[in-house]
Amino acid sequence: MVDIRYGPREPVEEGEVVTEENVFDHYDEPQGFFPGQVVADLTVSTFLLAIVVVLAYAVPAPLTEPMDISTTVYVPRPEWFFFFLDQWLLYFPGAALIAVGDVIIPGLFVILLLAIPWLDKEPAYSPARRPFVTVVGLLVITVIVLNMLLALLRIVNFTGGTPAG
Amino acid sequence: MIARTTARIRGWGRDLMDWMEERTGIVSLTEKLLYEPTPARGRWLYTLGSATLFLITLQFLTGILLLFYYVPTTDNAWDSIHYIMTQAYFGRLIRGMHFWSANLLLFVIGLHMVRTFLSGSYKAPREMNWVVGVFLILIVTIMAFSGYALRWDQEGFWAWEVGAMISSYTPLIGSWVITTLLGGDTAGPATLSRVFALHVWLLPAVLAPLIGVHLYLLRKHGEFGATFEYSERLAALRKRRQMEETFGSVEEDGQVADAGDHSQEG
Amino acid sequence: MPEELQKDPLTRRQFLWMGTLGTFTGVVLTVPSAVFVLDPAIKDVLLERSDVPAEWKEVGSVFEIPASEAVEHLVEFTQKQTYDAGEPAVNGTGAKVETMTNAVLLSWRDGKLPSVLSTRDEGPLPKTQIKELERDLNALSNHCAHLGCPVRWSSETQDILCPCHGGIYDINGDHTGGPPAHGLWHYVSRIREDGTILVKHEFYVQQKGQIGPGVKTKPYVV
Repeated sequence: MVDIRYGPREPVEEGEVVTEENVFDHYDEPQGFFPGQVVADLTVSTFLLAIVVVLAYAVPAPLTEPMDISTTVYVPRPEWFFFFLDQWLLYFPGAALIAVGDVIIPGLFVILLLAIPWLDKEPAYSPARRPFVTVVGLLVITVIVLNMLLALLRIVNFTGGTPAG
Repeated sequence: MIARTTARIRGWGRDLMDWMEERTGIVSLTEKLLYEPTPARGRWLYTLGSATLFLITLQFLTGILLLFYYVPTTDNAWDSIHYIMTQAYFGRLIRGMHFWSANLLLFVIGLHMVRTFLSGSYKAPREMNWVVGVFLILIVTIMAFSGYALRWDQEGFWAWEVGAMISSYTPLIGSWVITTLLGGDTAGPATLSRVFALHVWLLPAVLAPLIGVHLYLLRKHGEFGATFEYSERLAALRKRRQMEETFGSVEEDGQVADAGDHSQEG
Repeated sequence: MPEELQKDPLTRRQFLWMGTLGTFTGVVLTVPSAVFVLDPAIKDVLLERSDVPAEWKEVGSVFEIPASEAVEHLVEFTQKQTYDAGEPAVNGTGAKVETMTNAVLLSWRDGKLPSVLSTRDEGPLPKTQIKELERDLNALSNHCAHLGCPVRWSSETQDILCPCHGGIYDINGDHTGGPPAHGLWHYVSRIREDGTILVKHEFYVQQKGQIGPGVKTKPYVV
């Protein structure tokens, strides 16, 4: 059987010497997963479920006309989570650049994401104490969000393709 | 009389629990899962991860339900979805839940990733959990993308077409990738079958065990949200170091001199 | 990571809050799911709706049915299942109509040609003759009353036989041997003035020797 502690715990116990080694051994204020964390998780999940149910009826899941490969009027648009990539594609025109922008850079980006734990060697955890990583990360997020907005603007302002009359 | 009966029933219950524990270890496993210490201060931050898990579970549930009506052929896919939306009881709710929880899932998963990135939670020994997480977000994105194509309507079809065309620019193997995705050199019945196989069978089959690994690694190393979980312990550490710098320390000289380097202590 | 576990007390407030949320989530996840899956059963059992609309379909003519034989005719019914939303598609392609083809075994009661037919040729039938013919017509489902296997007419033995578990019926579809609980299903049928036989996708079973509509039931599957 495992040891079970009943009730709260002091951040630093009497006579305990906090060292670099054991500082992250336990939290200042630990709680048992149940019920403390379960209550929080259940609250958020139920809230999300309620949103989903309301949206399901308020904004029904779309079903556009049946697929028609011969259309000349339909305007294809990506899902919102591909807006940034859709915008990104515009910056790489022409035979030489398409592969770079569409496949190679996104591929490298995925590899970069996978490698983050080994690229970020700073011992500190707090974002303020490892400014380089934080700035690069925020830049990437900004580029993604900015591209999303640019794509959105482009889509909202698009007037072509609507059948005349 | 009543007291004796309750005592006896309680005794049986205890015997059953002991028996189950001895045979399966279920009691200590449940205790380990339920009473694992987690950081109380960051409990709302960690709901991002559990919300992701909840939304994915919702995807599995509603996805399985939609399969009771969905017909994956070019002739009938659109009509079967139209049937779900207009004829089947709660069809609008079930499909709406699948659609909206997928969108919400991508949003929440993004927040979860940003949170993990900013708090440096991917640092040793949690690197592999980050790697698994990156694969999970990729799979979820491809699943969302292929889900659109299953509708075989204009929106979904053209999105898949653009995605397949992007893949065709892969250097050296572009034509291999796009013909594999389309199931031919044109879009047709084989395309829909492939999208169906990916969305309904292959990707979930990869996703589910990876989620298991993600959760196992989380439980193995514990949650690490942010340093504010440890602010008092960190303060105690700083205070001790200051004291030692001012007054010197007899017994812990090595540690004070080289606070960042533990190699010589091991 | 600390090895020690921590057990906190479950407060009354937490208990009630979890109960409320759990009930909401539980109901939202189970009730619509169950109703969604049970949709066809609800429509059939509670609302008595069928996939097949109650339309009259032509299935041969009274002048084609010989004495002492059960002859097989095919009939095509409209079938509204998941492909067919029953509404025209938005782009005007129109709703698809799915169909199912069933076999009907047609014969005269006890294999005897009705007296009306033995004394006259083809041509318009008066009301009284239609009445008589309708009473003598057997329009049987080819679906065994035991477990639904396809039955067939055997001329040598003058029986309708089921190949699965040996159910035997006579030319009227009455049960004469084997495991079936009752005779074959009869289609609801009528005869037009020109002698055309019409059937509906509705069924009844008769007691042995009974004439006219018996108990309305469903064979299912077909």
